[in-house]
Amino acid sequence: MIVAGIVLVVLATLLIGARGVAAMRSTSDFLVASRRISPALNAAAVSGEYLSAASFLGVAGLVVKDGIGALWYPVGFTAGYLAMLALVAAPMRRTGALTVPDFAEARLGSAGLRRLSAVVVLVIATLYLVPQFKAAGQVLAVVAGTPYWVGVVVAGAAVSITLALGGMRAATYVQAFQFGLKLLLFVVPAIWLVLSVSGETRAAALSPVEFTTFERSTPVDFRLGTELTLTEPTSVAVDDRAPEVLEPGRYVVEGGSRWVFAPGSDVPDVEGAVPPGGEGWSRPLLDPGGAGYPVLATLSILVATVLGTMGLPHILVRFHTSPDGRGARRTAAITVALLSAFYLFPAVYGVLGAVLLPELYLSGGTDTVVVSLPARVDGGITGTLFTALLTAGAFAAFLATSLGLLLALSGAVSHDLLPGTTLRRLRLTSLGAAALVVALALPAVHLDVGVLVTSAFAVAASTFCPLLVLGIWWAGLTARGAAVGMIVGLLASAGVIGVDLTLGSPDGLASILLGQPALWSVPLAFATMVLVSLRGRPPAWAAAAMLRLHLDETHRTT
Amino acid sequence: MTKQRRVAVTSPQTSLVIARRRAGVRVDPPHLAPADMDRARRVHREQLRRALGAVAGLAGLIIGLPLALFAFPALDAVRLLGVPVSWLAVAVLPYAVLVLLAGWQLRRAEEAEE
Repeated sequence: MIVAGIVLVVLATLLIGARGVAAMRSTSDFLVASRRISPALNAAAVSGEYLSAASFLGVAGLVVKDGIGALWYPVGFTAGYLAMLALVAAPMRRTGALTVPDFAEARLGSAGLRRLSAVVVLVIATLYLVPQFKAAGQVLAVVAGTPYWVGVVVAGAAVSITLALGGMRAATYVQAFQFGLKLLLFVVPAIWLVLSVSGETRAAALSPVEFTTFERSTPVDFRLGTELTLTEPTSVAVDDRAPEVLEPGRYVVEGGSRWVFAPGSDVPDVEGAVPPGGEGWSRPLLDPGGAGYPVLATLSILVATVLGTMGLPHILVRFHTSPDGRGARRTAAITVALLSAFYLFPAVYGVLGAVLLPELYLSGGTDTVVVSLPARVDGGITGTLFTALLTAGAFAAFLATSLGLLLALSGAVSHDLLPGTTLRRLRLTSLGAAALVVALALPAVHLDVGVLVTSAFAVAASTFCPLLVLGIWWAGLTARGAAVGMIVGLLASAGVIGVDLTLGSPDGLASILLGQPALWSVPLAFATMVLVSLRGRPPAWAAAAMLRLHLDETHRTT
Repeated sequence: MTKQRRVAVTSPQTSLVIARRRAGVRVDPPHLAPADMDRARRVHREQLRRALGAVAGLAGLIIGLPLALFAFPALDAVRLLGVPVSWLAVAVLPYAVLVLLAGWQLRRAEEAEE
């Protein structure tokens, strides 16, 4: 049934994609669409492309893992469109540029800058894709009971087949449909969950207490090897064997094993994880791992997500479907409202999950909380039905975002980095990119989704945000300043996060400055661009190149 | 429906760039008619002013609200319809403010173009 749900989503996507492409084949689908697409429809398409598996599953999972403060993530995701509305949407549409590399060349006239931007697109798209594949793999693993790698490979195959068959190609209707589907599949189960849990559970969800004792016989599936510290003699049944009493001490749990804890026993400690429901958990600020700097951590996430949104390659393309700058601006404004509606609901899954499935934090499987909740609440057919609906929605989210990103990524490779483009090459590049992302997602199961998602935003905020904002509003920006600033921003964000991931996170303040660098890397990139530009001299046509972006199309005489 | 030739989808800018690279010629740098230039300068200054207003509002929200929640932990204990006020301040309040700010900025930006 669950598998049938996923297949249905893929088929519906393909079908609408095929029909949409057929209907818009006459010239270029973008240019034809651009004359008819209303801002509301286009905003639905932007939201459809934007709401990823990380939004559908990850936010609720982060609430279970890190607490109420994780709800700042979706605030940043939504606020990004306000920044876009105010600073980027209309002028960017007037450049006629589809992508940031296009913009770089159109505004600053430098082919080198175009290639550098294309490299940054590669970095951002890859960082954004890996957590999508990870989430899809985990969900498939949970609902089908297969190992994680099977889930990732199946997700990769689904994307590749859809790509090869030409589904979802830039069709605005598909993405708008995807938004409606995702909203429905997220909101209806949330309402059902709230109505069908007992009043006691609802009250407990709003007044959480720290998860210290197993209240029922609790099975925990460890997909990864973990170390647990038992604090009292605990009765545990490992892998369906008879329960035995384990003495207090450290235990190494093998990946793939299942431990069933007896009711009444104390919850073991896991290094680097905080049990849901505690005092720090209920605070509305982000303090991952209890590093002790909640304000800095929260602001860093917000800076990255708000300023990074305008640099996401698969989103910028969508604004081109608006007929003019004014339409693009309206699209951004309506998108804020649509996303606001969607992001009211991850909190429901998060707080219910913290009460009903707190044990997920032991195994690091909090990303699966959304799809695991229905079965926990209702063991019968209704629960299975809602699990199927949510899984289908999560898969739709995964497909929509991944396909958009893969197309943006392969477009950057074949348009901007290699000379000459053919449709065949574009398709081959995207298949190769899908394979690469699958290969990267396999070891990524150990990495924190929160870090991965934010890192893509942090890189975009430290590179493309200053390029777009300064390029649109300041005639004094030079190609050299833009290039140096982007390289500094890229090293400061991606480089530092890479070091953080490979060498392991340090403690305290340094863990925030390295793991979530946006708070200092974005100002650094802006300052570098401005200072290097001031030392040079922009070409004579720079003022015209910048000013024409602010001229309403209807008022232009030439 | 008649079969029509399929055309590769590129932005005008991309086609320009591709054409330039193949032919090795420099496309004319962007220019504006003098009348447009004056008008564009005015619009640019006005739009910048208004955009900075919206950005200031946004910054007030996403910097001010976390600081306020940090400074007043007592809000965790205050409840509205059973839900801690500090939770509502993250889960609901920002979206209402964002939608209002978006509508306000959209109207102002369009006015500046009249």
